[in-house]
Amino acid sequence: MNAVAWAYLAYGLMAAGALGIYFALPRGGRINRAAALLFGAIAAGGILLVMYQGLGDTARPSVVFAVFSLLAVGSAARVITHRKPVYSALYFVVVVLATSALAVMAGAEFLAMALLIVYAGAILVTYVFVIMLAQQSADDPESLSMVDYDANSREPATAMLAGFVLAATLSGLFIQRKWPSVAAIEEPAGNTVAVGQELLARYAIPVELAGVLLMVAMIGALAIARRHLPNDMLPARPPELPVGEIGKTVEPF
Amino acid sequence: MIQEILGSQLGLSICIICLGLAVILTADAYCIYFERKVSAWMQDRYGPNRVGPLGLLQPLADGIKFILKEEFIPARADKILFYIAPALGVIIALVGFVILPIGGRVHWSWMPEGTTLLAQGASVDIGVLYLLAVGSLTVYGVVLGGWASNNKYAFYGAMRSAAQMLSYEVPLGLALMTLILTMGQLRLEGIVTGQIDSAWNAFLHPVAFLIMLITALAETNRAPFDLAEAEQELIGGYHTEYSSMKFAQFFLAEYTHMITASGLLTALFLGGYEVLPFSRLLAGVNGLSWLYWISTSVSPWAMVLRMAVFCGKISFFIFVMMWLRWTLVRFRFDQLMRLSWKALVPIGMAIVVVQGVLLYFGRPISWISTAAEIGILVIAAMISLLSGKPITGRQLSLVEDDEHAIRPSKTPVTV
Repeated sequence: MNAVAWAYLAYGLMAAGALGIYFALPRGGRINRAAALLFGAIAAGGILLVMYQGLGDTARPSVVFAVFSLLAVGSAARVITHRKPVYSALYFVVVVLATSALAVMAGAEFLAMALLIVYAGAILVTYVFVIMLAQQSADDPESLSMVDYDANSREPATAMLAGFVLAATLSGLFIQRKWPSVAAIEEPAGNTVAVGQELLARYAIPVELAGVLLMVAMIGALAIARRHLPNDMLPARPPELPVGEIGKTVEPF
Repeated sequence: MIQEILGSQLGLSICIICLGLAVILTADAYCIYFERKVSAWMQDRYGPNRVGPLGLLQPLADGIKFILKEEFIPARADKILFYIAPALGVIIALVGFVILPIGGRVHWSWMPEGTTLLAQGASVDIGVLYLLAVGSLTVYGVVLGGWASNNKYAFYGAMRSAAQMLSYEVPLGLALMTLILTMGQLRLEGIVTGQIDSAWNAFLHPVAFLIMLITALAETNRAPFDLAEAEQELIGGYHTEYSSMKFAQFFLAEYTHMITASGLLTALFLGGYEVLPFSRLLAGVNGLSWLYWISTSVSPWAMVLRMAVFCGKISFFIFVMMWLRWTLVRFRFDQLMRLSWKALVPIGMAIVVVQGVLLYFGRPISWISTAAEIGILVIAAMISLLSGKPITGRQLSLVEDDEHAIRPSKTPVTV
């Protein structure tokens, strides 16, 4: 088979994956599990097969890569299909863990650890936290009386189509581009130094701009979060006492 | 066979990891005994002394009791997460230990001349970042356990823990950044050998050491930062609903985390396995050359001694943590947040700036940093003394689009 045939096969398999996710999205609180698993398995197995057979000897992925990428993709599917938001967020954590494992395999340890620290350690904790606070009323298991936005996904067909087009375009570009070989960019001493030099020398202005943007967002969040207090809700100011008198008299609660 | 296993880096690493696992799990059990003994000592009591000589078999009795206790799962708890949470806590706490540089380099007599092996679990190029990443994941055990229990007190504990960990990771990162700027690398064993060549970072960066010690206490949920399990307010916090071995797992996770955090402090600030500071200078003194021999020799005996020294320093930090727990009272939540965001973060930023300037002038390792950091501490103390009472309680709005809004300038509110 030539490259074009492999590419069409890969697109076809991605379409199968899209169908699988379409069936996995909840409708009326229910998931068509059998169809989702069938199409998902076809897509995952087929794409792995394409990668092993179609990419040639130089780019053949290892077994560890297969395990982690399947874990990442499967968990990512569960992020959007699980009916309980807490589990969705936790599957997102699994996605981040698997992705950082893939980054380590690609020799990008710094990126992997940054992913873990920023996403798994900070952002997702906040997510999990907010979702837990928001979910207190609707956590009855197995009941179909769950809230509408958990039980029904919005426009699954359109979303699947858009996602499929995105994934197909991206992967097509990835395959077409001539990547430098891994041996050329790998450094024995690790690449933290290289990442630092690139970020602070070549991309200094974007990094600084991102910093300013985050700062502005933080100030904005502060301004929004501070609520108005009506006058009568303000606590009465305690009378100013001379230093020696402080704490001598205690008012009843 | 044994020579082959010990003579390869992978075999030696696996041996050390297995040994480390056994040692840590035993040490966890004895930490609880030690904690009770320390508290008894501080409160003028005897502490556990019934089981075995000096009560030394108490951990064994505790373990048997934990296994035999009834396992209770609350109604409408989220069963999957309820089961996963304690295990998650233990696993995440255990994986951090692997990169601690406990042994230095070793040369076995049956190996070819001039070859050495690294006596530690793994040598990771991004060691400090790895520990930071693993440390930032520990919160999941607590948060999931607290939420899955379906108990509001447990959930309050989880909530507090999450907010606390997020806040204290910032000063932790700043203190680590100072160190990384000093040593110029992230590899832990490199940081240790760098300290043996110059001076311990605790002397070069006393304030960074202090920040790191405080954040280590906060990240391990130890008193005075144990708001997540405040008995007087939250019954037991996130582990209120846990019983039997799952409860013990939370304890295991906490003490393992203490051991890892102490190991990190030892490696980063207290010279790792070096017996005394400045042993390279002291080696010139008559009769003290063994100090430097322990730190640098590749002989297996020196390696064993180095491991002993490292464990000794870890024990010292664990004792300090227990000492603080039975001495200090717990912070209130707003005090906790103020300490992190208004004290540790600005001071941390200041020391990073100082270290950056030193690095710019090409002198990353110098005593100027000590002087500068003490100066920063003095300035911070003066600012806090002169700035009056801290702002607490409900805050006024920053946006004044309403005629009923109170202008902060006219009615300052201090509660």
